[in-house]
Amino acid sequence: MIYFYDGSKTAFLTAFVLAFRDGQAVLSSRGCQLSLAQETVFVTPEPERAKKAEQRLLKIDPDCMNDLSTLLRSGDQDRDMVALNYFKLLVKEGRPVRKMFAEECVTAAMECIRRVTFEIHRFHGFVRFMESASGALYAPISPDNDICDLLVPHFRARLPEYPFVIHDVGRKKAAVYDGSHVFLAPLERAEVLLSSDEKAWQALWKNYYDSVNIPSRERLRQMRGYMPVRYWKFMPERSRPTL
Amino acid sequence: MISEEKLHILTESAKYDVSCSSSGSKRRNEGGIGNGYVAGCCHSFTPDGRCISLLKILLSNDCIFRCKYCMSRADADVPRMTATPDEICELVIDFYKRNYIEGLFLSSAVVRSPDFAMEQLLLTVKKLRTEYRFQGYIHLKGIPYADEGLVREAASYADRMSYNIELPTETSLKLLAPQKSKESLLRPMRQLSREKLVFREEKRKGRFLPAGQTTQMIVGASPEPDGQILRLTQSLYRSLGLKRVYYSSYVPVVHDSLLPEKPAGELREHRLYQADWLLRFYGFTAEEIVGEDGNLSAEFDPKCAWALRNLQLFPVEVNTAPLETLLRVPGIGARSAYKIIEARKYRNLTFESLAKMRVVLKRARHFITASGKFCGAENEKIVRGLLTAGDAAPVQLSLFPDFETARSALTGEL
Repeated sequence: MIYFYDGSKTAFLTAFVLAFRDGQAVLSSRGCQLSLAQETVFVTPEPERAKKAEQRLLKIDPDCMNDLSTLLRSGDQDRDMVALNYFKLLVKEGRPVRKMFAEECVTAAMECIRRVTFEIHRFHGFVRFMESASGALYAPISPDNDICDLLVPHFRARLPEYPFVIHDVGRKKAAVYDGSHVFLAPLERAEVLLSSDEKAWQALWKNYYDSVNIPSRERLRQMRGYMPVRYWKFMPERSRPTL
Repeated sequence: MISEEKLHILTESAKYDVSCSSSGSKRRNEGGIGNGYVAGCCHSFTPDGRCISLLKILLSNDCIFRCKYCMSRADADVPRMTATPDEICELVIDFYKRNYIEGLFLSSAVVRSPDFAMEQLLLTVKKLRTEYRFQGYIHLKGIPYADEGLVREAASYADRMSYNIELPTETSLKLLAPQKSKESLLRPMRQLSREKLVFREEKRKGRFLPAGQTTQMIVGASPEPDGQILRLTQSLYRSLGLKRVYYSSYVPVVHDSLLPEKPAGELREHRLYQADWLLRFYGFTAEEIVGEDGNLSAEFDPKCAWALRNLQLFPVEVNTAPLETLLRVPGIGARSAYKIIEARKYRNLTFESLAKMRVVLKRARHFITASGKFCGAENEKIVRGLLTAGDAAPVQLSLFPDFETARSALTGEL
């Protein structure tokens, strides 16, 4: 049986209850696996059922909902099955399983989680703000995983006096810090009026980037490994046609 | 705003310093801008594969010293520039708030006199912390021979300070950096480590160099063997509590009859870093790591070379060996050792489970058993052969990938 759900926590837990005893279950929140050979269920999120399942799972492992919410933020194609298998094992074992590294489904889940948390860490460095005329900072990003609101605490802690917007342009939403509150909002496109010297600071940054490089020691492959090309789009030092 | 030309020149002369780490400081934001990030954070990577974490810049490249290997030495014909403290502070704040950088790595040539240069550095970091209310990371380079009081005050604003030892022995230092002496570098390092200790013991408020001290040595410009370098490193970690020792293998750029004509090569530097890791994280001593001839093996990484000299200790059983023993197995790093320790609490581990856990077995299989089973080669000769096969080209450096890195030997700082 194929279980389709909407990617939310409530729907996942509902689907988990339905699919738990089905050895052939395929769980999916993405439309690409539709197959006529198998029966398909579209799972309607049922808050009551989900709540019960959550409570049972929390009794087995008080931290497992953190794992779930991280897994559901993953952009990996197979993350639904990874999550399903991980939680199946959790119930089967009746105790926390996250350190059972010799189990394939644990390794898969932990790697999936690691890719999300690693991308958060990377974006702590790779986010590039531009200064608007009002002094607020604006950063467009396009991450693999759904993380834009998870970046906020880091920047809020270090820039408490600067309102800022982190805009996930792919998922069309933005995390906003207005100087005192944080909220998440849908955002299609943003028009930003830049401050008068924004371009000059960007130019100095590019100058610094070029000056600190040692050209005789070119190692582009290594650079791309640490800073994949898909992230370059919104980085002034890399988004130049000349490079 | 600092001029494009000034930024360019002062960055050019600072870029050969290897260190760019921003880790180790938990400095909290108490109003103003910035905080520490204990794990450290890379903000960009340049085409040479190095990370940009800090704004690495000189306050001035106008030097009165004549270190043979340095581009900014007094008798070199290069354009001279000096930035004002405000130019540096503005640059830091505007770069930081756009999230270009994690903080500042400030150093300076010995401009006019050691005390004058140190005063200028102090003035800049003090301004940055107090007037500009910056609480991000600051790594400050110390000037040898500068007044103790100036050094102490500067340290109170920095997260990390460093003096570059430059050369492993006094003799080499005298030859290549005639105005510096070992004492002029070690004295302030001892002073800072003593003061940090006192600061901790008295539980004083605030911070004193939360990210500690580091240093850097040029390797291959002078004749010292690896063993001597590693023993010096070990004593720096033990007696001065240094956080890191950086090595930069020598490459001749400045011509001088006292300097070797040939570069030291990337492999030696790589081996030294591997050995350095063994000292800091794997419980090895310098004496264990270095071979009988006083050098590191070119053929094998230092852990492998040690294991081959001590084959009577192997193989070890992964299901029972304690952590410190697992860490000594070639090919098993800290991450794999941790996974093994955790996973074996739940089940007996076989070679198949190790593979599922993504423990790399290429080297390790010759030194372990899993549930009693051994999958390595039968004798030492075959092991040696297998471990070198396919390694004809030197291993890629993970951190400082070739001898050009060594041009850090030509740093203009201090």
